[in-house]
Amino acid sequence: MTDTPKYGSSGADQCHKAAPTVGEITDFEILEIAVRELAIERGLFTADDHRRFTEFAESIGPAGGSRLVAKIWTDPAFKARAMQDPVKACLEIGIDWSKPTGFGTPSDYTHLTILENTPTLHHVITCTLCSCYPRPLLGMSPEWYRTTNYRRRLPRWPRQVLAEFGLILPPEVEVRVEDSNQKCRFMVLPVRPEGTENWTEEQLAEIVTRDCMIGVALPRPGKTADVHPVHKARRPVHSSHQEEGAR
Amino acid sequence: MKSKTMEKSQNNIGVLEEHPLGVQPRFKVGDRVQLRDMPYFFYTRSQMWARGVVGTIAALTYSDLVPEDEAFNVDGRVEQYYIVRFRQKDVWADYPFEDDTIQTESPERWLEPIS
Repeated sequence: MTDTPKYGSSGADQCHKAAPTVGEITDFEILEIAVRELAIERGLFTADDHRRFTEFAESIGPAGGSRLVAKIWTDPAFKARAMQDPVKACLEIGIDWSKPTGFGTPSDYTHLTILENTPTLHHVITCTLCSCYPRPLLGMSPEWYRTTNYRRRLPRWPRQVLAEFGLILPPEVEVRVEDSNQKCRFMVLPVRPEGTENWTEEQLAEIVTRDCMIGVALPRPGKTADVHPVHKARRPVHSSHQEEGAR
Repeated sequence: MKSKTMEKSQNNIGVLEEHPLGVQPRFKVGDRVQLRDMPYFFYTRSQMWARGVVGTIAALTYSDLVPEDEAFNVDGRVEQYYIVRFRQKDVWADYPFEDDTIQTESPERWLEPIS
């Protein structure tokens, strides 16, 4: 690292450091705080209601969706009901889209549509407008789902984006991007993988990860977590917070 | 329950218009439509990537206010929403895969019939 450019006036052995991330607040966050405080002041709900609701919304996770898919895979009559009226079918597995907390729902809209994959058709979801997501079923969306990078590149280069997630689909499989740009909320129903014959619903639910239900991964026996490929930086920038040994 | 068959409401530029109560979908699954390229005031959900592209009605979803009205709390016309399917090649001229598709959701007034 002797050739690293030096910044600042001191002649000391001082590498260029990445600036610390400054906690910035957006106009919309300020607006949310203002509206929330006014609503509490007006008595529409209490600060405690808000805390409980936020904690509930953050605690949901994708397990409900995994159970829904596993039940659809194992129970043809349930599948028929779920494809007909997904929100009603969710009640059968204990997910209430309307009043899960008794005083509110983490979903802005309750039009759920299940997109069924086949061996020759693969669905993948984005929201080019913002980050619409079936929250009662899958919990909070992952950070990457909300990025403009994912939202603007997926409609234009879906296969390349999927490849970055480690999912390379053959040309004969139709890739269908679903833009969740209005009030429908979407969930992908993956194809039940080979090697899962005679599995129980609980076993099946374990391999239906969040990414499988967004459409950026496929379920497979033995894979129970969303692990994305990690590419090492080719020209890494070192800074003093890294261990000496790593240089 | 309202018994009348017609109602008046404001459209998104504040003009009162008369229209049938309830929703009569104009399109059915399989119909060819083009997403219009219309002006709007400050808010729309009709995405630019789909403007002017010809596609096919893939599903009828629900009926609701249009976002351009709802965003301004205008009690406008409730209308049918559709999922529209486009060929990726029709959206992006140089898209390399023949069969890939992309879908968007749209309220009825943004869709133009194509015969």
